[in-house]
Amino acid sequence: MAGRAQIPTKNSALIAMIADEDTVTGFLLAGVGNVDLRRKTNYLIVDSKTTVKAIEDAFKEFTSREDIAVVLISQYIASMIRFLVDSYNKPVPAILEIPSKDHPYDPAHDSVLSRVRYLFSAESVASGRR
Amino acid sequence: MEDDDRCSSNNPGGIEQEEEDEDGTVLRFLDSLDSYLTLLDALSSTLRQGWFELASARHSMGSSCISSVLLDQKVRSAATTFQVGKSIDGSPSESHPSFAISKWASSRDGKCSFGEMEVSHVQKTSKNSELRHRGSSNFYDTTEEHDLRINASSTIGDGDVQKERSKSLSVFGTLVSPKLRAAQVSFETALDAIVEIANIRSSMLCAFTQLQQEMKEKGLG
Repeated sequence: MAGRAQIPTKNSALIAMIADEDTVTGFLLAGVGNVDLRRKTNYLIVDSKTTVKAIEDAFKEFTSREDIAVVLISQYIASMIRFLVDSYNKPVPAILEIPSKDHPYDPAHDSVLSRVRYLFSAESVASGRR
Repeated sequence: MEDDDRCSSNNPGGIEQEEEDEDGTVLRFLDSLDSYLTLLDALSSTLRQGWFELASARHSMGSSCISSVLLDQKVRSAATTFQVGKSIDGSPSESHPSFAISKWASSRDGKCSFGEMEVSHVQKTSKNSELRHRGSSNFYDTTEEHDLRINASSTIGDGDVQKERSKSLSVFGTLVSPKLRAAQVSFETALDAIVEIANIRSSMLCAFTQLQQEMKEKGLG
C-alpha cells in the first residue's frame, strides 16, 4: 500500500481531531486549532448528542482534505464508524486512534494492528510450515 | 520464474541474500510494532496527565471558564503544524510518508526553535531507552522532569513562542491557572508522541506491505 500510493509532500499541514471535549480543548491549547475563512474547523467535538452520521461526515471530510496530515480520533469514536476507519487505506492523512478519558486504549481494536494481526494468525503460521 | 529458479539454484549466495533481506524486513516490522505499542502507552500516560491538569484548572477557574463554548469561531491559523515528506526504507519503490512537527511557528518562516528542541529530546529518549516496559510512563517524563519542562517552557522559549502560547491560553481569560499552563505543556508533549507514532505507523505499514508481497511471491499469502 505505502509503495504504490502517491505520497504528497506538504508543509504546514494540519492535525484534525475527532474526540471528546477535554481532548480537543487540550490539543487546541497546544496550538493545533484552525478556523478558515468559511468558518470550517479542523476538529469535531463529540458528545452524547453527536450523531454517528455527523462523525462519519467529519471523518470523510478530514480524510479528503488536502491540508490535513494526521487525523486523531478517539478509539471509542472510531469504533462507532469502524467500517469506515478499517476501509481507509491512504498513507496521508494518517489515522491515529488515541485513548480517551473514559475509554483506555485497547490494541485489540486498533485498525492498524487488526490489519497486521493476520501475520501472526494460525492460518498464516500453518501455511508457512507446509 | 524458471530463470529465477535457475539463478537461485546456481547462486546460493543470492538465496542467502534474499533470506537476509526478508529477515531484515521482519525485524523492521517487529521493531516498529513494538515501538508503536510502547509509544501508545506513553501517549496514554501523557494524555492522562493533561486531562488531570485540565480538570484541576477547571476546578480552580470554574467549569464555565474552561468549556468548548469558549472555543470561538474567529478565523485563525494553526500555530502548530505538520510537515509531510517521503522516507525510503530499503528499495526506492517502497517509500512511505514521514512526519515532522513545527510547534508555535510564527509567521510561517519555519522557525521553531523550541519545537525542534522538543523533538530532539524525544528522539534522544527513544534511542536511549533500551529496556522498555509497557504500561509505565517512564518512556517520557517522570513528575520531576515534567515540572522541569514546565519551568523550562516558560523561561527558555523565545518571545514569539511565548506570545503564541499566551494567545492560545487567552481564549480562557487573561489570568489563567498554572494548571492550565501545565495542561498546555502536557498536550504539547503528547503532540511529540503523536509525530513519533505517525512515523512508526508509516514504517510498520511499509514493512508489512513488503512482507505481504514476499509471502505472495512464495505462494504463502
